[in-house]
Amino acid sequence: MNNLPDNLPWLRKTAPALAEAVRAAPGGVLSLLPSREGTVTAKHGDRWIHSSYDPRKEARAWANAQFKEWKDDEVGVGLGVGLLYHVEALASLKQDGRRLAVIVPDVSELKDALDARPLGSWPEAIEWIWGEPEDMARRLADFGKPLRFMTYAPAAGLHEAIHREVEASLRRMVASRQSGQLRIAVVGPLYGGSLPIARYVISALESLGHRVTWIDHSAHHTSYERFGSYREIRHRLTMQNRFAELLSLDTAARLAEDPPDLVLAIAQAPLTAGVLAHLRKKKFLTAMWFVENYRHLTYWRQVASHYDHWFVIQRGECFEAFRRAGAPQVHYLPMAADPQVFYPSLLTDDEQREYGADVSFVGAGYQNRRVLLPCWLSPEWTFKLWGNEWEGAAALTSVLQRGGARIDTQTCRQVFNATTINLNLHSYDGPSLDPQADFVNPRTFELAACGAFQLADERSLLPDLFTDQEIIRFCSADEVPHLIRRWLHDHEARRAVAEAARHRVLAHHTYRHRMEELLAVIGLRYQDRIGAILRGDRNAGALADRAETPPELATLLGRFRRDQRVELKDMADGIRAKGAGRRLAREELLILLLDSYRSETRDLV
Amino acid sequence: MARTLVVQLARLGDLIQTIPAITALRMANPEGGLDLLCPSSLAPIGRLIPGIDQVLEWDGAVWHRWAKEASAGLLPTHVERATKQLEALARHRYGTAYVLNHHRRALLAGSVLADDIRGPLLDGPLGSTLSPWASYVREVARTGRGCRVHLADAFCGLCGVLPPGEPPMLRRPSCPLPSGLDQIGRRGEPWIGLIVGAGAVERLVPVDIWKELIIRFLESAPHGRVVLLGEERERGRRIQDLLPSSLLGRVWDVTGRTSLLELVSVLGRCHLVIGSDTGPLHLAAAVGITVIGWYCGLARVHETGPYGVGHVVWQAEEPIDKSSRRRTDIRPSRWPIEETILFLLRGKGALPAAVAPGWSVWTSHCDRWGAYYTESGSLSSPPPEREALWAELSPFVLR
Repeated sequence: MNNLPDNLPWLRKTAPALAEAVRAAPGGVLSLLPSREGTVTAKHGDRWIHSSYDPRKEARAWANAQFKEWKDDEVGVGLGVGLLYHVEALASLKQDGRRLAVIVPDVSELKDALDARPLGSWPEAIEWIWGEPEDMARRLADFGKPLRFMTYAPAAGLHEAIHREVEASLRRMVASRQSGQLRIAVVGPLYGGSLPIARYVISALESLGHRVTWIDHSAHHTSYERFGSYREIRHRLTMQNRFAELLSLDTAARLAEDPPDLVLAIAQAPLTAGVLAHLRKKKFLTAMWFVENYRHLTYWRQVASHYDHWFVIQRGECFEAFRRAGAPQVHYLPMAADPQVFYPSLLTDDEQREYGADVSFVGAGYQNRRVLLPCWLSPEWTFKLWGNEWEGAAALTSVLQRGGARIDTQTCRQVFNATTINLNLHSYDGPSLDPQADFVNPRTFELAACGAFQLADERSLLPDLFTDQEIIRFCSADEVPHLIRRWLHDHEARRAVAEAARHRVLAHHTYRHRMEELLAVIGLRYQDRIGAILRGDRNAGALADRAETPPELATLLGRFRRDQRVELKDMADGIRAKGAGRRLAREELLILLLDSYRSETRDLV
Repeated sequence: MARTLVVQLARLGDLIQTIPAITALRMANPEGGLDLLCPSSLAPIGRLIPGIDQVLEWDGAVWHRWAKEASAGLLPTHVERATKQLEALARHRYGTAYVLNHHRRALLAGSVLADDIRGPLLDGPLGSTLSPWASYVREVARTGRGCRVHLADAFCGLCGVLPPGEPPMLRRPSCPLPSGLDQIGRRGEPWIGLIVGAGAVERLVPVDIWKELIIRFLESAPHGRVVLLGEERERGRRIQDLLPSSLLGRVWDVTGRTSLLELVSVLGRCHLVIGSDTGPLHLAAAVGITVIGWYCGLARVHETGPYGVGHVVWQAEEPIDKSSRRRTDIRPSRWPIEETILFLLRGKGALPAAVAPGWSVWTSHCDRWGAYYTESGSLSSPPPEREALWAELSPFVLR
């Protein structure tokens, strides 16, 4: 060992402050051992950081796999330090001009690497990113280029939390710098729970200043249902599939007529693999927010590889499953609430009588609810059950409202506001609480946004979203009656919890937040395209201020508001609007020429 | 003195039909600089046009790509790049650009390269007021009727010059044919070129018809040879498959194997060329080869018949429908095979008898008002309405 004196000089050359920090660091994070083939390898505790047989060979295999995906215009960002074998292998593949950065979460670990083996001069070509997560994120954001994160899992696993923090800071930074306007086509479903979410998404995107086109298929729901009336199941499936294919083609045609920067599909949007493949060929950027439980609805497997980005409400195994199915990018994006739709409201006495109760539940009659809700009825409190699909639930007939009719959003809000304790039991097709309780349903956020008090079943992803001071949880059915008794008559305590939850939603969990995050993720991936638009680089002011902008073009840009995104079509329309018969400047003619080629409709259908 | 630019960004047939206007412009100003802007793919043909000093190549594919990039997010560099491209294209600014397409793009290209544009619009590239000649051409294109001034001569009108009076010819390319094609036109006679494809589907002659024509011709002309021409290699192959093997040694299939210049050379070695695709027919006529056109679909002999003297066109007749004010897409139910063979064997003398049902047959001429066609069997006197049209549309030219 003892290679630090030889390795520190190059680090001093490229990152003197880091070199100083390394020198002062204690080291000793990694245990160094000889590998079978003689080179040094490392362990952290019981965990091997590099191969115990041949660390170089292992690193080469990893680097080759990463390199295949790494595009010329991307800055590679290595996650995981270890003994840097993998970084060395990647650096040897990297061509001139490509930038490779390595995140250093722990300077002591880097010290171990520099001490363990002679490195030569290759590290001089690496950009070392270190410091607080916020600082590291800022440096990455300042690259102004698409980033490709390359995770060497055995070493990266030591600092997973820091990596997540860096990534979150980076997204926040990109989100906070959003000042440009994107053209986004939102493709909604025919019907179902994701239909209102499509509306919330559109409203959020518009409130962020983007131009949104809603490709609304709900108008076709009646026809779709009509195809469901065949006696023969094959007929029904054939007709409904064909109908969905037609709607998919309809989407493609609409996109062709007004090409957006981003196609954002909401779960159940009728887009077939064939149409998605065609969209990709035509360079449309696509994303899907899959606001469903991936274990229950599994059609995502057929289209996983066809969307550029997947946003899902579950983590862990869900990510793995999507990646195995070919999804190129998978990100966690939990549900949210729209505070314009779900808000605290004062009810009239009549409304309070109609919608109010000590305890209420709003939702469809899934099996776990049919089994558990009767256990929570009691003479000690009044109980109202709202929602549909409760046929045959005899034990609940006395509390079922409106004969089990489907209730609309406004009624939902009134029930939430009128109820003392709202029960929030996530759906599950079994007789108990959901044994794989991970994602958090929209109702959690909607109840919180209303400032309504709720008791929710525990979910593994809930603590990341709300503290236990904001939402009271139960882990077993038996706890619920006790909790109802505990909170039913403690108005002040309920109010404190509910208000805290509402503040949390308004601060972090609205659809506006989610859309900012979604766009930040995509903007980071496509820095020179979506990212540039989001940063406002394509706004009239920014374009006019660019050094290379000739004065004649600056004059044309001056006709637009400085904060207005300017597209080729806008410029051409502006020139045409000034009328014929006058002498056009060269720049005007060139804009019109480019626009004449642009206006040829893309052949998508 | 400022140079002049002729802008023709349309297809092969339009470029060939621009030759009379170029010739007339050159005659009007023998010493002035005269250049041509045409699509890159047609530049080799542009260089064969007498009177042109320099051919500027318009690369539409590059503009398409740039437009796509600019529409994804407009940047000053997109405009700068286009400026550089134009500077590289034209080293100097033109005094006048004669724009011979109505497409906005051609008008814009002309405007960006020249101080003054003359062409279909009177009020610049963003205008909508058609010049008298452009109105005339548009009306003819819309209705397909009343046309007695050939499109090539209407181009002269757009340029403010009278037609040259004699059909101008393309220069023959100097490059030798590849050895595989060099035997064409060498042994045997006559060599008949068949243009077997067509740019528009409605003008495609069925392969069975070509088969029949080839068999009938080769049986009737023991020393005759046939060359299959055009871009559609698959059609050439299908026609060959239909022919008896005994005839194959007399049929040369060069479909899809020739560059534009090689096509010009091969056409020049034929004694006669037959087809329904107007572009290559114009090309053949421009190298001095007699052409037989089978005009159907939207093609009309008076408008775009091969330019010159002695060409023959069978025109599919449209059903008589006086109420229709729009051009009819004519789809013939039979083709003038017999009649064409008769003409091939006996020459013009056979034409009065060569009128096929559903078709009329026309012969081309040329005079000071340009090209015109007369119907076989009628007097070959020039149609009088042309002079009146010139007087109405271009009075200043006549003065």
